[in-house]
Amino acid sequence: MKQGLQNCGKCGLCLSACPVYGILKEEQVSPRAKLQLIKSHDNKSLESTQGLKEIVSRCLMCGSCAAACPAGIDHYSKFMEMRKQMVADHGESPAIKSMIYLLGREYRLKFGTGLAKTGQKMIPDALARSFKLGNIPIKNFPTLNPKPFRTQQEVIVPAAGDPVGSVIYFTGCATNYLYEDAGKATIGVLQHMGYQVIIPEKQCCCSVPMLFHGAQDQAMSNIRANIEALDPGDVEAIIVDCSTCGEALENEYPKLMEQGDDHAAATQIASKVTHIFSFVNDHMDLLTFDTAGDNPSTVTYHAPCHTRNNSQGHLAVESILKQLPNTDYRPSPDRDQCCGGGGTFFYEHPQVAGEMMAQKLTSVRNMEVDYWVTDCPVCRLNLAGNLEPQDTMQVVHPITFLYNALKA
Amino acid sequence: MLSTQLKNQLIEIVGDQGVLDQPEQLACYAYDAFIEEALPDVVVFPKSTADVSQILKAASKAGVPVTGRGAGTSVCGAPVPVRQGIVMGFSKMDKIIEVNTRDRYVVVQPGVVNADIQRALAPFGFFYPPDPGSMNTSTIGGNIALNAGGPRCLKYGVTVDYVLGLEVVLASGEIIRFGSKNVKDVTGYKLSSLFCGSEGTLGIITEAILKVMPKPEAVRTLMVTFGDLDSTAKAVTDIIGSGIIPAAMELMDQMTLNAIEDAAGLGLDRKAAGSLLIEIDGVAEACDKQLKQIVEKVNENGAIKIEEAATDIERERLWTARRSAYGVFAKIAPDILSEDVTVPVSQVPEMIRTINDIGERYDLTIGVLAHAGDGNMHPMIAADRSDKAQWEKVERAFTEIFQAAVRLGGTLSGEHGIGLAKSAFIPLVMNRETVSFMKKIKQAVDPGQILNPGKFV
Repeated sequence: MKQGLQNCGKCGLCLSACPVYGILKEEQVSPRAKLQLIKSHDNKSLESTQGLKEIVSRCLMCGSCAAACPAGIDHYSKFMEMRKQMVADHGESPAIKSMIYLLGREYRLKFGTGLAKTGQKMIPDALARSFKLGNIPIKNFPTLNPKPFRTQQEVIVPAAGDPVGSVIYFTGCATNYLYEDAGKATIGVLQHMGYQVIIPEKQCCCSVPMLFHGAQDQAMSNIRANIEALDPGDVEAIIVDCSTCGEALENEYPKLMEQGDDHAAATQIASKVTHIFSFVNDHMDLLTFDTAGDNPSTVTYHAPCHTRNNSQGHLAVESILKQLPNTDYRPSPDRDQCCGGGGTFFYEHPQVAGEMMAQKLTSVRNMEVDYWVTDCPVCRLNLAGNLEPQDTMQVVHPITFLYNALKA
Repeated sequence: MLSTQLKNQLIEIVGDQGVLDQPEQLACYAYDAFIEEALPDVVVFPKSTADVSQILKAASKAGVPVTGRGAGTSVCGAPVPVRQGIVMGFSKMDKIIEVNTRDRYVVVQPGVVNADIQRALAPFGFFYPPDPGSMNTSTIGGNIALNAGGPRCLKYGVTVDYVLGLEVVLASGEIIRFGSKNVKDVTGYKLSSLFCGSEGTLGIITEAILKVMPKPEAVRTLMVTFGDLDSTAKAVTDIIGSGIIPAAMELMDQMTLNAIEDAAGLGLDRKAAGSLLIEIDGVAEACDKQLKQIVEKVNENGAIKIEEAATDIERERLWTARRSAYGVFAKIAPDILSEDVTVPVSQVPEMIRTINDIGERYDLTIGVLAHAGDGNMHPMIAADRSDKAQWEKVERAFTEIFQAAVRLGGTLSGEHGIGLAKSAFIPLVMNRETVSFMKKIKQAVDPGQILNPGKFV
């Protein structure tokens, strides 16, 4: 049972878990302080101000505070409600507003990314070299998929060989528009295992970016559409390759639908949601690896906050990487440190995000690896975006790494 | 309200990034982990000893209170600015200046987090013994000001036993330095003892030289459960009485155990009426021998189950659970009061009986956990402050607990400090002359009464 605000004993254990506090070292950005502010705002002893909105926004929504909280407080929901209130009171920046507008309807997103692709080609090199979006240089942004990933796939992708079952694949926006390699690898691995993969056409943005930015109303229509699209029937699992999408489907949907007619459906979906690596970990016997070759790839892992705090996917990733043939897995001492990506955090608070990133870069460079894998698209964008030309490691989703290790 | 002139002076000293004065910012510096709250007029983050000195000079001149603050994890209200004024935040003065394990010391700024010292020492095979439950968050400045303890202080002693030297800024802005990097130093008054536990009422600590220790070669951790709380407590006095000094010996009653189990799901025995988490460390052979003796003693007292942590991960899980005890209690009720009366270890069984008796008489939920090996009790009352009648009972119960502890030869606080929580009870353990002696010291170094006013002196 998640606890309410009044149960925060202000013990301060969350301060050591919070990546933002770790950098800024000011109480007001700590999870404990945010709860205190929400409480004061609720009981009218504190006015809603632009300053309050600014404090509330200095949060990665990574969930590390809730995971560390001995009193079991649901920081996540409290922060989301407060963000909604703050946006209602003080508005939102044009950039965030347009993101919400795009994510709110799949056709807009498709159109928007199409435009962006043209735009990317048209940015003069000199501009791209010298400008940054948040803490990431423009030139380091990934190019968009040539075509949205889902439009390239059949709705039902058959298993390779004798089918052992079927799963639904919720691709998420990042795989659909940005990182198709992760999508291809996910399908490839599932096929190899003998699964038929269903990719429902009507799925759309999971809504987390909207929920985090207080756009709950816009989010609800997406959530309803997804609940309809993901009707699990008798599939074994609903696979996600992004833990943030996974968290939304598993925890937020049932909570948000608590009062609605869709609650039963949302709960049923939630019970089937599985991180691709947890799924693979449970079915390792179905995979055959290429054991030829004697030049192992060196790889290290960055565990995204939402994977660590919401699923046990990070343990599965690590356990699998350790077992793979031709792989020299090098555990990173700061595997669990946040990279500062945090949805749009890197854009809104580039300086803090930059400091978090700097620590990670130093340690990964010392490790001398070929691959730096991470199973969150924002982490991936952030890690890859902050590499310098002399850095030779590749940043990919671990599922791509795993797929490449399979026997053809 | 602070004058514009003083505010401008503060901005001049630390820059405008280092001064907070908006309502939504100030609200975050009104509290620690205790229940009382009070808003400061301004929060300032110094970056150096010189900044602290200038701030104190300005505050002295204006007669404005200054309250130091580390991470705000104390449980007695020490950093709560009850007379408003300036809160001086030290979380950004967080540099480890020197690690010297050859000479067994570290030099740190006050905002360094206790656990960061441990991390800096680990590669050298050393550690800093005081380990308050808040060690992952709390700062060394706060640890010193509150003279913090922790589980392993049973064997190793509390913060004051590890402070070799300090740099302190007085209310006047004068900077004093005493002690040295020498483990043996009897030059003049032992001023570090005066400042340990002074709770920011005598001066502001800006740098500390701390003694560190080599890590013991072996660590063994036992979890022992008992059928009743009385035997649990008796096992404690038997073990200590027989001359064994474990590194730590934590007692938890059934309620505490269940609260922890609810939060952490470690598979602890929910039915056990009492349990002991015992850790011994030292040379491997000596640990073997001590372990045997401890097992004998707990068996004599009817232990139901004795389990040893098999791996470091398991050990860390047990300790994480123990450290979360304060927080998990917060689940039970909106307000939680944790006290830390301390009694001679032979009186632990009697003290526990008394606490339970008081709880029953006032019909209150009291969980008992304790650093039992040194008699440091942590009775925790879960209550609701908005229920006036209940809260009155809580206050009366605590008064009785303090009185009982003193009757058994104990004292008010083993490690939490006095702060706002216990200042009214000081006469129970100090006569008028002693209290007046403390006031004379305070008057001599802070005649304007600007340093953390409204507290115990």
